[in-house]
Amino acid sequence: MLACDAVDLTLRRGEVHGVLGENGAGKSTLMKILIGLVLPDDGRVDVRGRSVHITDPLVAADLGIAMVHQHYSLVDALSVWENVVLGEPARLDPSAARARVREIGEHYGLDVDPDARVGSLTAGQRQRVEIVKCLRRDPTILVFDEPTSVLTPAESDQLFSVLRRVVAEEGRTVALVSHKLDEVLQATDVISIMRQGRVVEHLPAADADARTLARAMVGREVSLRAEAAAFGLAEAVQGAAPDLVSTVAAEPVPALRIRGASVRGRDGAPKLVALDVVVGAGEIVGVAGVEGNGQRELADVLSSLTKLDEGTVEVAGVAVPTGRPGAMAAAGVGVIPEDRHDSGCVLGMSVAENLAMADPHGVARRGMLDRRALRQRAARLMSEFEISAPGPDTPMRLLSGGNQQRVVLARELSASPTVLVAAQPTHGLDVGAIEYMGARLRAAAESGVGVLLISNELEEILALAHRIVVVHRGRVVGEMTRAEADLERIGLLMGGAAA
Amino acid sequence: MREIEELPLAVVDAAPVIPGGPPRRPVRDAVVTVATYVVSIAVALALCALLVAATGGSWEKVFSALIDGSLRSPGAWGLTLTTAAPLLIVAVGTIVATKAGLVNIGQEGQLLIGASCCAYVAVRIPGPGWFALLAALTAGLAGGALWAGLAAGMRFWRQVPEVISTLLLVFVAFQLVAYGLTKTWLLLDRTPRINKNNTGEPLPTDRTFGHLHLFGNDVSLSVVLALVLAVLIALWLSRSVGGFRLRMLGLNPRAAQRSGVSAVKVGGTALVASGAFAGLAGGVLLTSESAGDRVTTAFSGNYGWQGLLVALLARDRPLVAIPMALVFAALRTGSGFLAATGVERRIADVVQAMLVLALLIPPAIAAIRDRRRAVAAARAGAMATAPATAGAAA
Repeated sequence: MLACDAVDLTLRRGEVHGVLGENGAGKSTLMKILIGLVLPDDGRVDVRGRSVHITDPLVAADLGIAMVHQHYSLVDALSVWENVVLGEPARLDPSAARARVREIGEHYGLDVDPDARVGSLTAGQRQRVEIVKCLRRDPTILVFDEPTSVLTPAESDQLFSVLRRVVAEEGRTVALVSHKLDEVLQATDVISIMRQGRVVEHLPAADADARTLARAMVGREVSLRAEAAAFGLAEAVQGAAPDLVSTVAAEPVPALRIRGASVRGRDGAPKLVALDVVVGAGEIVGVAGVEGNGQRELADVLSSLTKLDEGTVEVAGVAVPTGRPGAMAAAGVGVIPEDRHDSGCVLGMSVAENLAMADPHGVARRGMLDRRALRQRAARLMSEFEISAPGPDTPMRLLSGGNQQRVVLARELSASPTVLVAAQPTHGLDVGAIEYMGARLRAAAESGVGVLLISNELEEILALAHRIVVVHRGRVVGEMTRAEADLERIGLLMGGAAA
Repeated sequence: MREIEELPLAVVDAAPVIPGGPPRRPVRDAVVTVATYVVSIAVALALCALLVAATGGSWEKVFSALIDGSLRSPGAWGLTLTTAAPLLIVAVGTIVATKAGLVNIGQEGQLLIGASCCAYVAVRIPGPGWFALLAALTAGLAGGALWAGLAAGMRFWRQVPEVISTLLLVFVAFQLVAYGLTKTWLLLDRTPRINKNNTGEPLPTDRTFGHLHLFGNDVSLSVVLALVLAVLIALWLSRSVGGFRLRMLGLNPRAAQRSGVSAVKVGGTALVASGAFAGLAGGVLLTSESAGDRVTTAFSGNYGWQGLLVALLARDRPLVAIPMALVFAALRTGSGFLAATGVERRIADVVQAMLVLALLIPPAIAAIRDRRRAVAAARAGAMATAPATAGAAA
């Protein structure tokens, strides 16, 4: 398998170069080659006409190449200016460093307090720190890997205007890696499209439209209307959902009712604050918000992994004790966790065993596992959910991410849940797998399951949810039906503005 | 003013990057594994021979004596089998804890407490021999369970790491038994005898395991007990719902908790069970008389530590622990014959240590190889998560 196959990419001074492709197309690999994190097996990299060997990030830094990673490489316990100078060999000069941070901040409109502790910043502010850190080294080429995944729509717009300035006024080059058509169209000058490790298309952004880009991305004709969410087309999604009408009126007994849920983290910081969420049977409720605003804790509570400090969780009208092993699963709460390796599956066990985790007694007689029943059930679920693996006894570890996700989905749905919690269910999946997940969630809702969709991708929520709940700092800050949903308002709420 | 450049700023012309590393080659891997075992054991034995020669002994005589003591001399292999029984029982218990993700390294103490409890009951309980034996073994089991239970309690109520608590409880156990051996109402010999300082009361002979007489060797029936336990636990771990849930806890505690496996209940039970096995091993050691018929402060004689090593070398597979226990037992019995060769008896410990290292190296090499492959795969995987659709289409 090739991650990058004889890729050619040319970055020119003074342009924002969009590198577009679905998950797994090889975009990140290509950028990691540029930054020295991955060494190409073959081929060459020229910078300013000179052939170079970028063997590690330090070499890249010397060549003026810097990268803002998808997951930031900042130290939470240190302050902003300390993070900015971290790793530099020069003598430490705190006041100069502070001044420099302020100066860069003012110059680019990247307002951030140099003395703030990074751990207390929001995801968007952290990204600013990361960018300041890069700009301080005065790079010629700036690489951004999926920069908007942790930003509110307004923050994204602000980021793009900074990028624009950096290239237009200072002649730097920006490579913007993304899987979202919208932002590539909006923010770049030139677009390279990658598919299965190759650059398949290269065109000026002015000549591009969503349809051609989408087709080049997946290599087939696509319906932008149906698959808009997978391509990150928020506007298209917003216009394309009149068929989603919630069948749920005010039911007396909803599938899931969370009342006044409060959780404090280990450090005592509030993670969930008096959170109320109701999910009716047959309804998909989307929880929108910027990453790190309590979504993880909410999913953990519904996975019996975290005990509520205050508040209650009721499933079909029955209160379920929180934090007691297996209580949520027994009450009929299925969960597709954010990180399937964390609580979704056991990598050291076989596919069949993973599929039996929720209900081992279903494939056992008198306390002993019935191997035949175990395999038969696995084989049935594997064909029903199109899980591609050599056999039921294949170790879970050897499956691809998409197939592992299907194993989790198959197990959770086969337990006929009352409520299905899907936390970032399409994270890291390709377009086909994203569509599949969406179809499954819709089908689950149609069969009467209450679905709680927790996602950082607003497009995904807009495409699937009947009702939307916006969270900020562990609180519900806004709630609306799909018909009332309005991108701008949700964006403002995500950023913490009062509704 | 920005200069117009003819040359592009950067040109990347990459390159196939192959994820997943080289393809797996199961046959080649198996050959390599066997070869590394052979080589590392040969090297270990060669080093031992060198050591013996360097200290003025004859390595032929030493190895010959080891084999005489463990296999060749009359009654030797019977004794070796009997010695293997407690080692195997300790190892099986260790495996139960390890599979649940807990590290019990206090078997030596649990075994000593178990042996003491067993002795206390065995010399006091009236009734027919078989009944007294059963009661005494149960007491040993309960003693070991209690001792590990202290660690389990601290682990699950106060988050004290069980690695530390089980280890430190070994030293407490030694002190406690030493104290017990000064009081007749506890463990000290109650019979009017001279030279009975700090020794336990001899077991009445009807309270010991019977023997099978096979080809001139006496094999204690405790060997049968140990084998049955190893097989039962192997089956339970791999085939039962309980074993499944226990393994789930060991492999991914969060996934297990979501699926209703309580770390406190299942994990705590596993730790207590592993202590119970060690305690039972102590009882078996006492009642099969391979380490004497009375408790002393040195009674446990490293059986606990060695049982732990057996589990380590068996890499948590109860059935593999059977041959490993036999190897360790052979070294124990074999070392008894070393005195005749004029070589320090402790050379057997060196051989043993070398063999442990030799047996640990091949798995370590395999682990490094697997890790390299995994890292290569992960690096590649981070760049290209395999498309699920391709699989679905297939």
